[in-house]
Formats: sequence, C-alpha cells, structure tokens
Amino acid sequence: MTCGSIDRLLYRLAFAAAFAAAWLALTAAVCAADEARDFSAAELARIAAHGPWPLASAPDPGNRVSGNAAAIRLGHDLFFDPRLSADRRVACASCHDPVQGFQDGRATARGLLTGTRNTPGLLDVRHRRWFGWDGGHDSLWSASLRPILDPREMGGNAARVARTLRGKAGLDCHYRQAFGKPPHANDPDLLVNVAKALAAWQETLVSPPTPFDRFRDALQRGEAQGVAAYPTAAVRGLRLFLGRGQCATCHAGPLFSNGEFGDIGVPFFIRPSGVDPGRQGGIKRLLASPWNLLGSYNDDATRDNATQTRFLRTEHRNFGEFKVPTLRNLKLTGPYMHNGSVATLREVVRHYSELDEDRLHTDGERILRPLRLTDAESADLVTFLESLSPASPLPPPAVPSVVAACRAP
Amino acid sequence: MLLRGRATLALGLPGAAAHAACPPGADDGAVISKDGLVLAYRPLAIAGEDKNAGRIPMAKHFVLELQLCDTSGVSAARLVKADATMPEHRHGMNYRPQIKPLGGGRFRVDGMMFHMAGHWELAFEVQAGKEVTRFTHDLRID
Repeated sequence: MTCGSIDRLLYRLAFAAAFAAAWLALTAAVCAADEARDFSAAELARIAAHGPWPLASAPDPGNRVSGNAAAIRLGHDLFFDPRLSADRRVACASCHDPVQGFQDGRATARGLLTGTRNTPGLLDVRHRRWFGWDGGHDSLWSASLRPILDPREMGGNAARVARTLRGKAGLDCHYRQAFGKPPHANDPDLLVNVAKALAAWQETLVSPPTPFDRFRDALQRGEAQGVAAYPTAAVRGLRLFLGRGQCATCHAGPLFSNGEFGDIGVPFFIRPSGVDPGRQGGIKRLLASPWNLLGSYNDDATRDNATQTRFLRTEHRNFGEFKVPTLRNLKLTGPYMHNGSVATLREVVRHYSELDEDRLHTDGERILRPLRLTDAESADLVTFLESLSPASPLPPPAVPSVVAACRAP
Repeated sequence: MLLRGRATLALGLPGAAAHAACPPGADDGAVISKDGLVLAYRPLAIAGEDKNAGRIPMAKHFVLELQLCDTSGVSAARLVKADATMPEHRHGMNYRPQIKPLGGGRFRVDGMMFHMAGHWELAFEVQAGKEVTRFTHDLRID
C-alpha cells in the first residue's frame, strides 16, 4: 500500500466518521422533535380548544347596521377622518394604526392629551364581550363613541360630527343610505349612528391564521408535515403555556382570552399621583352609561344580547383588575399591559416568571405564583407567543366599496 | 366537563322545560340527594352553540334547568340561591345568576358563567318551609 492510498483511506474513514456523526445528530434531533410533538389525548383536546381560526361571526343584533355595506364604508371613512376631533388633527386611526395591528406602539395613548392606558389593538375586536381595559363598554359601538367625545382623545361633539358628515358628499350619502335620514346635529341618534357605522367597519377587521393555527389544524387532521413545520421551540413553549404556566386558565379559547378581568400585579398607580381603579371604575361607567345594552340604543328588542350586563356582579377584587387581553397579534401590538409598561414579550414572560406576589390584590386570584422559568424556557414561551401572530406583515385593510347609490354619475 | 360521581351531563333542549320528572331521569342531568330532597340539574342548549357538545362551555354564559323532587314526587321546596366558586382560586363567578320558577318543581337559572378552566363548585340553596338545604356539586371545566 502506498502512502497516497493510505492517505485516501484515512480521508475516507474520516469522511465516513463525520457523516455518521452528522447522521446520528440529525436523527437525534428528529427524534427529539418527534417526541416533542407526541401529545396525550388531553393535550390534543386542550390545543384544539384554541381554534379553529378565524371564528364564525354573525351580525351584531344590537347594531342594526352591522354588516350593512353603506355603514361599513361610512365607518371606514370616518375612522380615518381627523375632522371629528376638536383640533381636526386626531382621527381614530391616529392611535389605531392599521400597520401596527390597529395599535400605536406607544406605552399610553396620545390623542389631544396623553392618556394613562395602552391603546388596544382592533383586530378581531368583534368577538369581544367587554371593550376597553376596564370593560367600561359592553358593545363595540358604544366603545367607538367614547373616544370621539372624550376631551383627552378627540374632544368631538354632535355638531362637529354633523358638520363632518355634511361636509363631504360621500359621507353624507353613505349616512343617508345606512340610516335612512340626513345627519342632523340635533338628532339624538346622530352620535350613536356614527358609532354604529364605525363598529360596522371594525367588525370586518379579522386577523389571518397564524403558524399556531396551521399547526393546530394539522394536528387535528393528523397531517405530519404540517405538524413538523411548527418550530420545536414553539411546541415546548406551548407545553409550558398549557401546563406549568397555567396561562390557558385565563388566556383561553381561540382568542387566547376568557374575555374577563384579572389582577396580575401590574402597578395601577398613575403619575404624578392617582390610581387607575381598572374594572371597578369600568363597571361604574358601564352601568351609568345611557349607551349600555340595557338602554334604549340597543337595537336588539329582546335584550338577549345584554346578558353580560344584566347579570354583572361587582366584587371588591375588581379594583385594579384589567381585561385579560387576547394573545393574538402580539408581535404587532407592543408595548404590553394596560399601561404599556412592559416593552417586549421577553419582559412579559419575565413578569410572570418573577411575579411579585406582594403586588397582587389580597382578594384576588390565588393561583398566581412566580413561574421561575429558565432562560431557555422563557425563550420557548416567547417563541410560542410569537407564533400567535401572522407570519408576515399584514397588508393595509381593503377600502370597502362605495355603495351604488353613492357613486358619482 | 367532568362531574364527580357522574361522567357527563345530558344536554337538554330549551323546549323541554314543561315536563316535570320525579324521580329525575337521565335527561334531567346530574342528580344530587340530601335530607330527603333530590335536585337534578342540566345545562340548556345555548343559541349558537354546538348542541351536541354536551358540555358547559368555558367563559360563555349558560342556563341551568333544575328539578326538585322529594320522596312523594315533585317537591314544593323553592330554589332560593344558585352560585358557583373556584375553591382553589378563592373566587366565584363574575356574574350573579337569577332564578325563575317554572312550576312543577322546576327552576331556570340564568346568568351563569365559568370564566376559567379548572375546578368549580356549584352551590344551590333550597328552602322548604323554614329549612334551607345546601347542595354542592364539583365540576371540572376544561
């Protein structure tokens, strides 16, 4: 045997060894990934409960123009119209920016003045039971009316709204088409009608399926390829979410929210001095509002849609409770928490990992405990949470069609 | 939903309220007995929900229908309170249910909602004369 042939043999042996090592490593990784996706029947049921997506929807019985094409176009145009505000510079879209999941990226909202709460995103808003961090509204349309009138946000009024509607032929026409009458400032229905048109448009804002939804559906159908496409780190994060983290206790169902309220130890002090009472204040506002679903502006004569308001119970623990937010679209809607005090999802996870129990309400939830996650576990949970957002940026929402009666001749 | 001592609840239909059943049958749902009284309850199908699901939905309002019986048949006792708590969480529901007598020992409870997954304890108070009997029943909501 020559030296050259020995070299070649050694080279082949080395190559074979390297190949075998790589194959073993790959096999181990695949096995680990397969094992990570080996769910029990109970886990499969719990994963399935977070779908399907999108949810089925029906017109809002409390809003007679829900689904009405003229109202949807009117609502769209008003949403982007700053003339509704006192200084003609603040529109709904100023805080609810479509490219940021209808959020503004700020810690707290900035209208005519700077507010004390984080702007909620509006994607999938039609499926909520309560609106606002304190649930001060029980319908999307009444929640849409408040910012127009709030002196800290848009500072509008009926006269300004009527002027805005009459100042543009398209707005005026769509209003008449939707409500069967011209807009008048002295019409007691004017503001509510405008809010119902805004709600009709917002009902169309639905987020697309996410990587988690595709994984969940593939799991349901037994499609191995679709299941395997979901990152292993996200699967580990999902297990934490459903298991040790007990996150799904509140962040439940396809919306990843039970739609109710809780205290998770986020400070509710407002600088320079003051306290945000959260749900307690929200209930007071709701029950005092002429626009709640028990009132005369609810278009559902049966009032069957007012169950949540009719049976509402107030508790001492409501003080400092805030709404359990949806976890969909989080990549678009930071910063987080009711006061926007947490900048990143990593910090959100750290909040729960290092939970300060001294901050929790004495009458509040008893199962909250620090999760004490490792760095790797925290990263896995973040990867899972990120998989609840669309994989790619969302295009701007389509502009609804002008109804035939309002097209220029 | 799992019931301690009973695997599942039969899911009734809204139109079935008129018939009184003493002693309660399978269609009347979970049955609890105490002090000579028998209480049967079941969730009614909810508009828009899957009527075949056979479960109390999590974080959605539902309606309960109850039947009260005693050793002689339909009981003259009244359901005076219906509520639920999560003992481990040390809180109850966010809603205050209302009771409506339907006649024939039957009652309808509106406004119930289990807003979290986990162990819930249903509690009913039944009054016969001056005597109040408290029934409890454990449920697991997933």
